[in-house]
Amino acid sequence: MLRKSLYVIVALVVAAGAAFWLLTQPERLDGSALAAAGPGDPDRGERVFWAGGCASCHARPDAEDDALLELAGGRALETDFGTFIAPNISPDPEHGIGDWSEADFANAMMRGVSPEGEHYYPAFPYSSYARMDEQDVADLFVYLNALPPVAEAAPANELSFPYNIRRGIGLWKLLYMHDQPVVDLPADAPEEVLRGRYLVEGPGHCGECHTPRNFMGGQNFDRWLAGAPMMEGEGSAPDITPSEDGLGSWSAGDIAYYLESGFTPDFDVVGGAMADVQRNMARLPDEDRRAIAAYLKAIPAAN
Amino acid sequence: MKRLAISVSALLFTMVGVAAADDPIVVRQSLMQAAAASAATSAGMMKGEIEYNPTVAKAAIATLYGVSQAYGDYFPEGTQEGDSDASPRIWEDMEGFQQAIADFQTDTAAAVQAAGEDGPADLAAFQQAIQPVLSNCKDCHEDFRIQDN
Repeated sequence: MLRKSLYVIVALVVAAGAAFWLLTQPERLDGSALAAAGPGDPDRGERVFWAGGCASCHARPDAEDDALLELAGGRALETDFGTFIAPNISPDPEHGIGDWSEADFANAMMRGVSPEGEHYYPAFPYSSYARMDEQDVADLFVYLNALPPVAEAAPANELSFPYNIRRGIGLWKLLYMHDQPVVDLPADAPEEVLRGRYLVEGPGHCGECHTPRNFMGGQNFDRWLAGAPMMEGEGSAPDITPSEDGLGSWSAGDIAYYLESGFTPDFDVVGGAMADVQRNMARLPDEDRRAIAAYLKAIPAAN
Repeated sequence: MKRLAISVSALLFTMVGVAAADDPIVVRQSLMQAAAASAATSAGMMKGEIEYNPTVAKAAIATLYGVSQAYGDYFPEGTQEGDSDASPRIWEDMEGFQQAIADFQTDTAAAVQAAGEDGPADLAAFQQAIQPVLSNCKDCHEDFRIQDN
């Protein structure tokens, strides 16, 4: 009897382990989607680079101007889960991504899977980048590869159990990663609003800070862009829906001007982590800032 | 002329505020409001929403200069508590904060110089004078203000 129970327990543990293993399998992109993208264009890639805010984490801490293009990594994100350190993504073959294929890069960006087939931590906002267009990713890859290589290693993450088990991220992805648009828009929505949705929900990864998370770090999509405490440091990322506490009183022009200049309608000025984001947004063409503004005015207000 | 009167009265209002209040938090917040009003006037002219006027431009620059001279004196130890968005980093890195104030002073002094007796002659000259001043807002807020926008 005892022995029989033991067998059952062992069988259950093995089954649970096997289920965990299967469920947490890093999943790569379908090759045909990638093949559909044409050859990358570095000029278009530069626009994707600023929209995606790559330099804000991957340039050296406090880098400015041209130094923003040396993607040595090293910026630390201190969160409740531990300290994540942004890696070197310069085209150095040893320390960066110089020996990656375009498919390796697309899998990192859109599936959060490394060339070695491991999960990345979602501090790297691939759950937003998953909504990107393959062509934009291909363009970005060409642009990144033309930046200066930096032959220095970024330090490793400092995480404690259980967050140091990468395989567990597979479960997180199953629960919280969706590559579909967050806000349903009518098929006849203005082109500008659709472009804004793409920029905000995809490369811009605005929801990573402005949408609240649960204890597992999963985004609460019912409270999309409704404001949230910062994952690191003090303060909070505000509600940026058209609610009374959010951007209700801002015109689309006010939002676009804020993204361009850093000034709010009452001439307070952008601060904290958003200052970096705004500097990136200032490098986009005006039509992109206006698209972001149009989308933010079109989404449902948080209450 | 009416606009000039408004700008000047905004400046005077600020001065009165400084004299009347003895709460450093209130003083520094009213100084920032004066700076914000000047930034708004400046941006309004640069965006073409307010017609360019050299006297108004000079008033905006003078206000920002005045703020830059006074602002750093209202962060005594202990005023990190209270109804304030000032970041604790100000007191952790007072030297860095005072350096940011010094940069603000240098840039506003240069703008005062450029404005001269009659204010910057045209919008392009004003733009050139005011842009470096306004970039201080972001640089300092990024490091020393608790983010809420």
